[in-house]
Amino acid sequence: MSPTLAVRIATYLLVADGLAALFLAGLIGPLGLAVVGAALALSWWQEPLRARVHTRGLGAALAAAAAIGSAADLLFLADTLLDGLVHLLLFLVLARIFTLRAPGDSRVVAFLSFFMLVAASSGAFGVGFLFVFVACLLLSTWMLLLQHVLAESAPHAGRVIVGIPPQLAWGRGLLGLAAGAAAATLLITAALFFVIPRVGLAALPFRAKLGPLVTGFTDRVELGAYGQIETDASMAMRVHIPEGMGAAEEIPGLRWRGIVFDEFDGRAWTVGQPDRMAVRRSMTADFRLGGYRGQGRILRQEFYLEPIGTEVIFAAPRILRLEARAREITVDDMGSVSIAQPSARLHYIVESELEAPRAGVPDAWGFASADDPAVARYLQLPPLPARIPALAREVTAGSRSPYEAARRLNEHLAREFAYTLALERRTTLPPLEEFLFVRRAGNCEYFAASLAVMLRSLGVPARVVGGFQRGEWNPYGRYFAVRMRDAHSWVEAYFPSAGWLSFDPSPRAAAEAGRSTLALYLDALRMRWYRYVINWSLRDQVEVAVGLRRQAGNWGTWVAALRETPAPRAVWPVIALAAAAAVALVLYRGRSAPAARAARRMPRFYARALRALARRGLRPSPGETAREFCARAAAAVPGWAEPVAAITVAYERARFGALTLTAAEEAALEGSLAALARRRAG
Amino acid sequence: MNLWRRLRPARTIWPTRDGWWCLFAAMGLGVAAINTGNNLLYLLSSMLLGLVVVSGILSEAVMRGLRLTAILPEEVHAGRPALVGATVANRKRRIPSYSISLEALGQGGPGRVIYLPRLSAGDERVVTWELTLAARGRHRLPGVRVTTRFPFGVFLKAGQVILRAEVLVYPALVPVPAHLLRRIGGSGPAQTRRRGRGSDLHNLRDYRPGDDPRLIHWRSSAKTQALTVRELEAETSTDTRIVLDGTGARDPARLETGLSEAASLACHLLRAGATVELAGPGLLVPLARGRGQERRILTALALYEPRPARAGTGLARAAGREGAALREIRVGIG
Repeated sequence: MSPTLAVRIATYLLVADGLAALFLAGLIGPLGLAVVGAALALSWWQEPLRARVHTRGLGAALAAAAAIGSAADLLFLADTLLDGLVHLLLFLVLARIFTLRAPGDSRVVAFLSFFMLVAASSGAFGVGFLFVFVACLLLSTWMLLLQHVLAESAPHAGRVIVGIPPQLAWGRGLLGLAAGAAAATLLITAALFFVIPRVGLAALPFRAKLGPLVTGFTDRVELGAYGQIETDASMAMRVHIPEGMGAAEEIPGLRWRGIVFDEFDGRAWTVGQPDRMAVRRSMTADFRLGGYRGQGRILRQEFYLEPIGTEVIFAAPRILRLEARAREITVDDMGSVSIAQPSARLHYIVESELEAPRAGVPDAWGFASADDPAVARYLQLPPLPARIPALAREVTAGSRSPYEAARRLNEHLAREFAYTLALERRTTLPPLEEFLFVRRAGNCEYFAASLAVMLRSLGVPARVVGGFQRGEWNPYGRYFAVRMRDAHSWVEAYFPSAGWLSFDPSPRAAAEAGRSTLALYLDALRMRWYRYVINWSLRDQVEVAVGLRRQAGNWGTWVAALRETPAPRAVWPVIALAAAAAVALVLYRGRSAPAARAARRMPRFYARALRALARRGLRPSPGETAREFCARAAAAVPGWAEPVAAITVAYERARFGALTLTAAEEAALEGSLAALARRRAG
Repeated sequence: MNLWRRLRPARTIWPTRDGWWCLFAAMGLGVAAINTGNNLLYLLSSMLLGLVVVSGILSEAVMRGLRLTAILPEEVHAGRPALVGATVANRKRRIPSYSISLEALGQGGPGRVIYLPRLSAGDERVVTWELTLAARGRHRLPGVRVTTRFPFGVFLKAGQVILRAEVLVYPALVPVPAHLLRRIGGSGPAQTRRRGRGSDLHNLRDYRPGDDPRLIHWRSSAKTQALTVRELEAETSTDTRIVLDGTGARDPARLETGLSEAASLACHLLRAGATVELAGPGLLVPLARGRGQERRILTALALYEPRPARAGTGLARAAGREGAALREIRVGIG
């Protein structure tokens, strides 16, 4: 393959790489990708067209067309400024690649392709960007090296190439050079990326647009609305459990609590009028939301939310502390936490006190009353058919405590009813009545709503919680992969001596078969990409710095321990000899060869004259010729003009003329040297 | 000054046009990254900076370990191209040097460029180029600078200017003027007839390679159907004194012309086997013959500077008295 062809291939691959980046970011759709790809392919096979279209006025025409088209696009067509810039970028790339002539033109195309990645960086947060980035790095390195070969091979006026041309002299080593350069660049890039301080100001509006709000995580949810979500296999979030938290995958009943509903109108649950409070960040850059009660274990969770368009903070109940990149959060009296102005991808850390397993709760019936303002809204009921409370009383007959009754209802629903995502209505009955007495099948919303309503009819405060099930455990990254289909509803019931306890009546289908090892590895790679690239922050840098300093302290301790160990006596003579050898080597290398040769070529009489002049403070400057020094010495000491001139003439004759001094000349020189000595003495 | 010499960097690096684009793009991306807090922009900016760093490292790797040794010409005459050279050696044990350029600096900047695509570890290469110096006297050669744009062409790395050697440029050699040639046949004692490069005809012989084409005797060649050359009679006197007539201070152009004529005449006579002495104002090269004498005379002429008339006149008179027996040829220097 010739270097010219290789440069061309690299150029086209770079453009394809840029297009892939834009596609990953969602800045161009499949149709746009197809159109641009076709144009790219057309340009490869249209060599005659490329030769013909390069006219003197074409550049100006293209520039004018680009300016007009870009203005029109920004004003009327593009949704955002970024879209307009992307369209302009694509136009420039295609215009340039259709007019490729000199090898240097490929560099312009490479720069434009690089800026495609820049544009894509605002929205392509997936791990696919990593592969696009690495490909861009490899291709850029290769292309730049090839460009260098071609540039140096081209004939230039006044330039002679010694040996065979570069493309042959480098030969197969060129590929190795490119690979080595790319590897080195990748390592240095990684180092710089992690070291450059993160001091973002977030002032420019180049963020990606958030997706539409997902049904189910708003203040209102109708029965059956989760059906659409429960068929969605896209990723919702990843919950990383750090080391030291035990076997996280074995925690029973682990769920990610989100939004809480307390009002039911017979068809939909809504968030009533909770007391909302803004909480500001504490001095330690976190949010304190509760105190530890000493009942359940502490679980630390690190959340990486996909852009699902919700402001809700999901976490295992009950939240104690939250670390998030926000100035303030909103908390209501039901424990729901939300964050204002969420970024495209939300990353936060939560510490929670999990529910302790309980055998029973000793609270007696009648602890809650509709007149009690604290629990009244959790006993609110719409007009219900009489058979619903009757069913509740029938199932819980003989229960000695409200907790036992709740457990019986939970078990009854899980045992006697089926789980289904087919939620077609069969009658005109209210949805809850139809579920309990006709279809006897539904999704988690029906189960949760039924349990909550029946508990309320028995006088037990209850509310419905929306969130996610735990998801799939990935041991390679120690995280739960939570998908949209893991969205879930369950019930919390209140007991004075225990607080709010979770009940999940849904007989959810068995978990799907686990994914393959390769799939888990790939997903773990995505997790690390989010964790260490997308969400790399100043806090992470500080932690790394502190860790390194701690290791440095350990190193200091090790050195101190070594210093305390007495060294054998024989070591010191060896050290002395090594030091002496080093000094001798430095002194030997300090006498450079050119200086030695220069000393050998200087006649002895001239060296004597220089020494005589040096005693008077006259020394030749670096680069000063003998004649120039002679003029300077004569100007400084006019009386020395004649002898110094004679000595200089003799020096020039001896050095450049290969003159052997005759006896008479030597005598004359001795006289001149004596004159210098006499005048110095005088 | 030694401290400054040691502190001066061994190399300089300067961005090319593409290098400036790379740096500006990195800075722009850095600003954008800070403003948006987007880590991917930090990643892309780091990539550009990584290319810059790798470019510096690799260019240093190919420049390190190169040694240049000057190859200077034996004689340099004003106005005549001289072949100047250098031996380029890669002293590294394993790493080759790629894309090395030797810039032979001209008077006002870069002159000729000699490009070596690859120099293997431990390898040597001799490179030469022509250099023409216009004036006689002592000159310092412009020197040579090693540069490279390896590997990406975004930075130009240059070493210090080295091989600054001092050379003595002899006066230009010109054909001996006719009036001086006639003087070579002047009278003198101890006339003998022997083969040489005089002006009188000594004999006719067959042409041999290297003979002066001007000495071909066409009439005899036509008769004998073979090239015949005239064998000239050597000068009637082998002892010649070339006297620089004048002080040379009035007309610099005339001075240079005269010195060239004197140098040419001296070389002509010496190469013909004669003994020559050079005398002039404040200048005396005693009578001698051979290659060494030629070099001495050329050196004296190369370094000659006009002297006051009084001193010159005295020296000339002294020389005249000592060499009364020598044939004297005067060359005017204005």
